[in-house]
Amino acid sequence: MKIAARLFALLGLLFALGLPTLSAHADSMASKLEQLGEMTYLKVTDLRVIKRNGLLNIQAEVTNISSSNERLFYRFKWLDDAGFSIWDEEPWKPVVIYGKQKHLITVVAPTPQATDFRLVLQSPNNTTTSGGSSSTTTWPTE
Amino acid sequence: MNLPRSSSLLLSLTTAVALGLGGCATTSPEVSSGPVKYGDAKAVETVTNEFGSTDLQTIAESMARSMLQSRPVTQSRERPLVTIAEVKNKTSEYIDTRAITDSIRAQLLKSGAVRFAVDINAMQNQTDELIRQNQTGMYKKSKSKKIGQMEGADFRVEGNISSIVKRTSDIKDVYYKFSLMLVNVESGVIEWADEKEIRKTSTR
Repeated sequence: MKIAARLFALLGLLFALGLPTLSAHADSMASKLEQLGEMTYLKVTDLRVIKRNGLLNIQAEVTNISSSNERLFYRFKWLDDAGFSIWDEEPWKPVVIYGKQKHLITVVAPTPQATDFRLVLQSPNNTTTSGGSSSTTTWPTE
Repeated sequence: MNLPRSSSLLLSLTTAVALGLGGCATTSPEVSSGPVKYGDAKAVETVTNEFGSTDLQTIAESMARSMLQSRPVTQSRERPLVTIAEVKNKTSEYIDTRAITDSIRAQLLKSGAVRFAVDINAMQNQTDELIRQNQTGMYKKSKSKKIGQMEGADFRVEGNISSIVKRTSDIKDVYYKFSLMLVNVESGVIEWADEKEIRKTSTR
């Protein structure tokens, strides 16, 4: 009985400490992502940032929840302390993510001045726009 | 109204021209005739299977970013002086490798981590300018740049691009491999190397 009570208290503590940080993490992750439309099958499931040699290193995990291959276009925006863009527009990069695959996008900031970033994502096959119009015209491809 | 035939013709012609001009006038600052339009220079281009703008851009970006993390760039006390040697095109198609190395150089210079010395292609202009300032007798001695003050590069960048092309009656598969290395000029030691691979498949 004593052990169960302790376990309960520990669980409560974990909830109290863990849940806010988890939701904060989710919030901060969402604030770094810019999706052109909503991706139905591809989800960003993890986002890590670390500074090495003065440059931001970013790793984003994109999970394909469907069993068929999905295509993804992505690029980064690099911002300075004041929120200004400090780098030219990056080229869109195409990736194929296999069914059920967790794909890692790893990238390094182009300059030490980059202190913040946005990951811009577009998946051509499953984007649905709120207006209900076809998404095929918004592909970053020619 | 009884107008002579020629003047009624003229009237209808001017009306048509006026209507035509009125039809063209829009509020957008564009003069256009036909299906020409500007697009996104950074878009993923998949018009054909050949080497394209997206390949050039992604190769340059990934090489520049990788070199930024290399030991000679991150560990040296002052910004290393680099020069661009040749990137050989070993593919079966025409690729302007200078366009790739120019992009890599531009990105590295913008990052502020390295400096670049004049490469072989720009050497003629450099010597011409120095000779003009020093040997034509047209410049003030105190205001002309001295001969013999150029700095030699610590490292040179060189590499090659190769491809494997496979074709059946309905599939064409192209694989590109771009490899680049950073060589210490004095010691001849390769300090950094990286590769970027690209696969493009088209079906008929």
